[in-house]
Amino acid sequence: MRRTIGGWALIVLGLVCALLGLAMAVLLGPDGRRTTGPHAVDVDGSVLVTAPGAITWVDVKVDVLVEVPAEKPVFVGLGNSVDVTNYVDEVQHVEVTSFGTPWKPKLRTVDGEQPTVRGAPTALDWWLVQSAGLGGASLSTTLPDEPVSLAVVAVGSSNLSGLKITLAYGIKGGFYKGLGLLLGGLGIALAGRILRRGEPALEHGEVDEFEDEADEVVYVYVDDDGVEHELTEEQIASGEFDVVAEEIIEPEPEPEPEPEPEPEPEPQYFWVDDDGVEHELSEAELADLGDEYEIVDDEEGDER
Amino acid sequence: MRRPTVVLTAAALALGLAGCAIPHQRGDGAIDKVAATKGQVAAIYEDYREIRNAAIELLDPKPLSTVETGPVLAIDTGSFAVAQKLNRTGEQEAGPVDVTRVETPRFTQYPLWLFAVVRDGERDVQKLQVFERTTAVDPWLLVASPEALATTKIPDLRHDGSGRAIAIKATDQRGMAMSAQEAADAYARVLTDPDQASSAGITEDAFVRQMADVAATNAALDGVTFSQTWAAEKVRYVLRTSDGGALAFVTLLRKDQYIVPTTRKITWPEGSPQQALLEDGIQGSSGNLNYYHQILLHIPGGMAAPRAIGQYGGVVQGELGFDGQSVEDDPPAPDEE
Repeated sequence: MRRTIGGWALIVLGLVCALLGLAMAVLLGPDGRRTTGPHAVDVDGSVLVTAPGAITWVDVKVDVLVEVPAEKPVFVGLGNSVDVTNYVDEVQHVEVTSFGTPWKPKLRTVDGEQPTVRGAPTALDWWLVQSAGLGGASLSTTLPDEPVSLAVVAVGSSNLSGLKITLAYGIKGGFYKGLGLLLGGLGIALAGRILRRGEPALEHGEVDEFEDEADEVVYVYVDDDGVEHELTEEQIASGEFDVVAEEIIEPEPEPEPEPEPEPEPEPQYFWVDDDGVEHELSEAELADLGDEYEIVDDEEGDER
Repeated sequence: MRRPTVVLTAAALALGLAGCAIPHQRGDGAIDKVAATKGQVAAIYEDYREIRNAAIELLDPKPLSTVETGPVLAIDTGSFAVAQKLNRTGEQEAGPVDVTRVETPRFTQYPLWLFAVVRDGERDVQKLQVFERTTAVDPWLLVASPEALATTKIPDLRHDGSGRAIAIKATDQRGMAMSAQEAADAYARVLTDPDQASSAGITEDAFVRQMADVAATNAALDGVTFSQTWAAEKVRYVLRTSDGGALAFVTLLRKDQYIVPTTRKITWPEGSPQQALLEDGIQGSSGNLNYYHQILLHIPGGMAAPRAIGQYGGVVQGELGFDGQSVEDDPPAPDEE
């Protein structure tokens, strides 16, 4: 019984894993990510940041491409939210307060006394990853296990009007991990099936402590002539027969192979000369002698 | 191996391999930051050493303003000014910086700061330094650097679950006889009047006794009116110690005032900072010398009295005051000309 339950559990677990893996591989594709965009983002000023807590995921691989028209210099960086928040403090900017996939950002404008940030973003040492360029910049990173914010900053006196963002997110090696999960899940399901059916493929080795009892109960009735007839469990369950005696039939042990008979010892022949010395004779020498000898002792194991 | 074990191991292995680095959401959602990474601390000290050596070579304190600020910069600028006036060259710190301990607390907002212990083998002291970054666009600057003997035991600090030292507010007095700010103010009162040590709840330590001796010597100058006052600045850097107390970096401003009649003249030894700042000494007028002293104050857990375990200071300003013609003449004393 336990074997059956365990087998079913493994089958279900394996199928769930396999389905997850399949979904992962199909959704992410061979490059392991989903891409969305380019999306136009309406930013009048020079700074766009994600609010602290807007990015809550860890170990997601993200690729961000920001593009601005007319070859304007632009910067994109990912930093700890404490740093980014302080960097844009008192600066007029647009904040992404929350984000839903594939592209559902909620934006709000934050007023500030300063039109742009103090200090060039490229001069700061606390960015976890950063990139700058003319007309566009991109970064690629895996989200770390710390609060982070993404910042898009117009460098110098330019602004972010006409900003477009392309976002890709996924799992590093996600396609292959999905395939691995699929195969692993199928393997687990197969193992569960084998366990449930109790196929001999898994019955090598030691005795299974969870295995059902090996003893088998056989019901028989004896007719008037003293001949035993085997009954099925259904016949017993029907109540047609009363169980009067129960005998547990131990499975017969496999007969041990009989030992190979030892080969008969080759007969040895000797002749005794006049001095009483024994000389061994081969079969050929014995044949050459013809009738010139007499077997004087044919004791078992001591033929001469 | 038994069958179920084999199957479960295979299942766990397959899931584990597939599950590694699976995206998940951050657990606590806390918005905070460790002050600096190990690499950043190394870079901070590398920059500091490079610029300090450049300043020493040029005998010009200006470059120091990019790596120091506040009282530390004032004290160093004073010593550089003295060196310039005396045409004395400094020695660069050629050896490696031996940073023996770094504590980087977590902060939810700026300013960020870190505490480090640097061993100075030549002078056999340990520098207890605080570097601060005021905003995200500012550089790391040295803001406190009291010194203790190399043999002085620095109290163990309490750490959070991630192994970070815990910074507390200067007004936090939980588990202590007084808060860090109260201790700093009380310490300044005791320095002004050492007789208040017991009533102020401060241990009369070596620094208090040393400063009291200096004040007594100056006050003993015949015909000279001497006064000394101490004031504690706002305490900004406090760490929780493992005994439930706190370690506070306190900056004290000391003001020495001399009122000297025309018949007297006070001078200081050749080569001293005071002599460099008041070259002609004080005669027939008042003179003020201002000092900054940075002390590391240990406020033990429980009701024990705070005490200083390290200090660093120097004269930062000297100025002559009003005309002292009206000051009554007295016979000269041995310390006077």
